[in-house]
Amino acid sequence: MIKIEHLSKQFGDFVVLKDITTEIKTGEVVTIIGPSGTGKSTLLRCLNLLETPSGGSITINGVDILDKQTDVAKIRQKMNMVFQSFNLFSHLSVLENLTLGPIKLQGISEQEAQAKALGLLRLVGLAEKAGNYPDELSGGQQQRVAIARCLAMEPEIILFDEPTSALDPTMIREVLSVIRRLAKEGMTMAIVTHEMDFARDVSNRVLYMDEGLIYEEGTPEQIFEHPQKEKTRAFINRILSYTRRISSPDYDLYAINAEIEAFCEKQILPKKTRNNLLLLVEELLQIYAPYLGPIVLDMTITYSEKNDRLELICESTGEQANPIESASLDDELGLMIIRNLTESIDYQWINGKNRLQFLIKK
Amino acid sequence: MDLQTRTEGSAIVVTLSGRLDAVTAPEFEKNIRELIDSGNSRIVVDFDQLDYISSAGLRGLLLMAKLLNAKGGQSCLANVKGNVRSVFDMCGFCSVFKIENSVAEALAAIA
Repeated sequence: MIKIEHLSKQFGDFVVLKDITTEIKTGEVVTIIGPSGTGKSTLLRCLNLLETPSGGSITINGVDILDKQTDVAKIRQKMNMVFQSFNLFSHLSVLENLTLGPIKLQGISEQEAQAKALGLLRLVGLAEKAGNYPDELSGGQQQRVAIARCLAMEPEIILFDEPTSALDPTMIREVLSVIRRLAKEGMTMAIVTHEMDFARDVSNRVLYMDEGLIYEEGTPEQIFEHPQKEKTRAFINRILSYTRRISSPDYDLYAINAEIEAFCEKQILPKKTRNNLLLLVEELLQIYAPYLGPIVLDMTITYSEKNDRLELICESTGEQANPIESASLDDELGLMIIRNLTESIDYQWINGKNRLQFLIKK
Repeated sequence: MDLQTRTEGSAIVVTLSGRLDAVTAPEFEKNIRELIDSGNSRIVVDFDQLDYISSAGLRGLLLMAKLLNAKGGQSCLANVKGNVRSVFDMCGFCSVFKIENSVAEALAAIA
């Protein structure tokens, strides 16, 4: 239905979309997720021609919509958009908001438009508000009216740009249930959202956007349960991390401690967990210290809010060998402490580096 | 780490505060060595104000025990609690050292 090839968009020198290629098929529900500022909304706005792409092509059923001859108003009827901020006409009643487009653009009679509008308002559960003005409605109700208004134009696809971002948590559900219903009825939709559970439930396909690209795409199961790429994993598991490179045996332990404490403070980790983490880091640094200089150590602490998992990853250069097994130690004290502080220790040789991964006891 | 000493009868009480870690352990070892070299053979180490200990600190304690043994002396630790106690437990140090709940009891234990 919609084919996007090598789409790019830049504002001056600022590149928002680098090279987007994807397809949305009839009846598909595609959700677009990713961190803020990665071009998700810009992609939708390019599809609806609210922004003019800098390069690439968009075709709908084989018609190039970037062609200068294209009737933009017609494209927007086929591919209607629901905005974060509702964008209802405040001086018109709910019913008039729904009938204006069909009467003016589709040329249907007022009576027919009103009958259709009432049917759509029933669909979104707001028939009794037909005579009200947008200001008299809650945010959730306004957004449902905006969806009904969009449907009144009988679009082939609806683009949703963060439809629940401006709503209170109590109102999010009512809007999402309307979108879920449309999905069930086979409406083709592209939805930019930060509601991960919703994206998982409703989509056929999920696009994870980062760095102005479709960084990873797949079924909800692939993206939410088995993301393959690092940034997708970090986003899905709400992982926050801190990395410190140590390349000299004369490292400043207290400076490292201060940074770790600041990281723990930010994640509101309990004091005992912080102490355990500081102790683990010190013991590991003691093991690595004799080799630092010729080898470089990257220590990364990751905390997954979703799973409440705190991990420490040590990646070091040098020959392939498990650092905690091959170290020449005077005693076992450090290792005893390390084993006591961790639930699991996993060693791997990855990309020419020795990688030790510790899951820290809480 | 801050290290204070005071004499109690024929024993010396070493009071530690702050952190006994890879950075401060060498200083602790130097002080202990000096105390033993200057003839002190009965030492109580008070951990009441110590917040943190790592394996480097534990090694300092082992060195103290070794030096005292060589001179027929003895030591006792007091107020080992919280995080420090956890590390002692991890490494089985509670059975290696004499540990008492207070400095007074520790002094009595090596009297």
